[in-house]
Amino acid sequence: MNTLKRFSLYDKRTKWVILLACLSIAISMLLTGSLSYHIAEKAIIEKLKTKDLFFIVQSAAGKIEGRMARAKETSLMMARDPFLSDWVSTEERDPTTQKLAVEKLNRIATDYDYSNTFLASASTHTYWAEGGMVGKLSETNPQDAWFFQALQSKNPISVNIDYNKERHDTFVFINALMGNPEHPLGVTGVGLDLKDISQEFSTYRFGEIGTIWLTDHSGKIHLAANLEDRGRVLADFLPSDVCQMVLGSDTHGTDQPEIMEYTNADGELIDLVHQTLQATDWQLIIQVPRKETTGFLASILRNSILAALLVLIIVTLVFYLVSTRIANPLKQAIQLSEELERKVNERTQELTEQNIKIMDSIDYAKKVQETIIASDQELVDAFKDSFILWLPKDIVGGDFYWLRKIDTKVIVAVADCTGHGVPGALMTMAVAPILNHIVQEGYHSSPGEIITELNLRLKSAMHNKGTRITDDGLDIGICLIEGNTLVFAGAKIDLYHKSHAGVLRIQGERFSVGYLKSDVDQTFQNTLIEIGEDDFFYITTDGFLDQNGGPKDHSLGRKRFISLIEESSNLNSQEQRDYFNQALNDYRQEESQRDDITVLGFQIR
Amino acid sequence: MESLFFEATKATPLIDFNVNKKTLVLKGQSYPENAFKFYDPVFLRIENYLSTSPAEIRVDIRLSYVNTSSSKCIMMLLEKLEEAFKRGVNVQLNWYCDMENESEVECAEEFQEDISFPFKIIPELEKGSND
Repeated sequence: MNTLKRFSLYDKRTKWVILLACLSIAISMLLTGSLSYHIAEKAIIEKLKTKDLFFIVQSAAGKIEGRMARAKETSLMMARDPFLSDWVSTEERDPTTQKLAVEKLNRIATDYDYSNTFLASASTHTYWAEGGMVGKLSETNPQDAWFFQALQSKNPISVNIDYNKERHDTFVFINALMGNPEHPLGVTGVGLDLKDISQEFSTYRFGEIGTIWLTDHSGKIHLAANLEDRGRVLADFLPSDVCQMVLGSDTHGTDQPEIMEYTNADGELIDLVHQTLQATDWQLIIQVPRKETTGFLASILRNSILAALLVLIIVTLVFYLVSTRIANPLKQAIQLSEELERKVNERTQELTEQNIKIMDSIDYAKKVQETIIASDQELVDAFKDSFILWLPKDIVGGDFYWLRKIDTKVIVAVADCTGHGVPGALMTMAVAPILNHIVQEGYHSSPGEIITELNLRLKSAMHNKGTRITDDGLDIGICLIEGNTLVFAGAKIDLYHKSHAGVLRIQGERFSVGYLKSDVDQTFQNTLIEIGEDDFFYITTDGFLDQNGGPKDHSLGRKRFISLIEESSNLNSQEQRDYFNQALNDYRQEESQRDDITVLGFQIR
Repeated sequence: MESLFFEATKATPLIDFNVNKKTLVLKGQSYPENAFKFYDPVFLRIENYLSTSPAEIRVDIRLSYVNTSSSKCIMMLLEKLEEAFKRGVNVQLNWYCDMENESEVECAEEFQEDISFPFKIIPELEKGSND
């Protein structure tokens, strides 16, 4: 569970990193995208207002003005033609001249590509066209009002726009006064069909929904890219305030178009430019919806978003691949190490539990072993003064010390069974009862005899199966104390006697007991010692003597042990115990204890 | 016929029994938890070798510490050599000792007392007096 939990955490972190990276990339892309979009939009609108719309309206105006100027020139040329003037001044009576004049009108119309040419006489009111006489102009006919107005205006040249509903066509007539404008002979000029200009307007139109109009001062539309708009008024298309601004503005005499923007009824932003045509009160109006201008930006925006999305997908993919390719082995390694850690923890737990069990068991075994060991009280009762340094290597061990009082005798033994730890302790538990039996059965006058008997009984107890893998026995030293005498016998264990004379080593036999090769007939020499006052006796197992340490890692050795006895001669038993213990620790330092250690020291009188 | 080689550990000595060279070397310290188990393979190889009535065997020992049960095992080994010596195998044993290490020397001397084949105690490295 623990492992899984930690894994999901790891995954989450990876996901977060990927998410954050994607987000930051997306945000930066959106930022740069929108920034460049706005910059581009601003630039485009700026260009539209300062250049494009100006250019369009000026070139459209130029086109119309050009044609008008040419038409005016032609009309003036006709008005100043002496032949025509003479013909009109003679009231067009000469038929030959009339024929030539009509031919001239016709030639001008066809040669200069005008819809028609005309000449109206002030005296006869006859209206002549390229095809000959059309009819008489009447002052009462409103359709002929232009003629009389032109005559009265005394304006050498005037322009007249005529929208013909029936023909869905607009004609522009240039009226030039013949002769002296104060007393004009007639009116002549050309008629322009603005249809072709209308068609040209379409090419100036901005996109699908832009419009271009030519209106007169009243707002009536005479020319439009959208033919249906013709004949209608500007107010039909523009809000009234815009309409007023367009028609009310006075751009006469200036070439500068005026630019404005407004929001139409549909909420669309519209850019509008208008210019008054030269020498007329006509307005050329072009309007372009803003969305038309900036429409292509929408596609840029769309493409940018698409690119951003694409980049996001690629980045996510790359991150995913990277995390699976690179992070996965790491993941596996972590998984493996966690698995191992878990197993180690489990094992450690198991081992700890087992160790606790074993230690509990051994701790209890120690209590059991202590039942065969001489108690402190027994030592106190038996001796004037004594100490015991009993340090099993592993809580329990093969060393033990044993004491019995029989009548006035004290029998004390220190033994070292083979092995240490539990096997050693088991041996002690086998040896102690045998020792008890031997003494109870009356062997309590000679330590040597006791050892001999112990050897015998132990061999028969331990080796009657004849196995060779186990060969166990023990070293033992026994003292029998009665009055002021001490009898010692030992099997590989010595007695040290400290008296006024110094320290004397009473060697035991160099044979152990109970081993396969221990001779059943082996005897163990008794040594009788007269006990002096304040004499101290010491028995030690090999554990103390064999402990390694010191500068050369040698065994502590007998010489050093004897020195310790000598050095501690002025100390009481408890101080001696501490002295021995301290000397041992100082000697071995960091080295572990090699074997079970037992040192018994006692004083009798 | 097989040789035998054990690396030394803290509690067990190096064992190098070389059949071709006819040598057995024990070097180090010996206080294993179970000495009989440790020495059993050595016994087997040596017994095996000696049973072929070889001309000779040379034994070099340098043991700075031998615990009680290990010393029983060493004794068993020496007894096997003793038997072979009595059967006519030329057995030679050199026991190297640091003469300053009293218990080491004592240990060697104790073994020497029980053995009748050539058993030399040779001082090694440190100078010291053989007391």
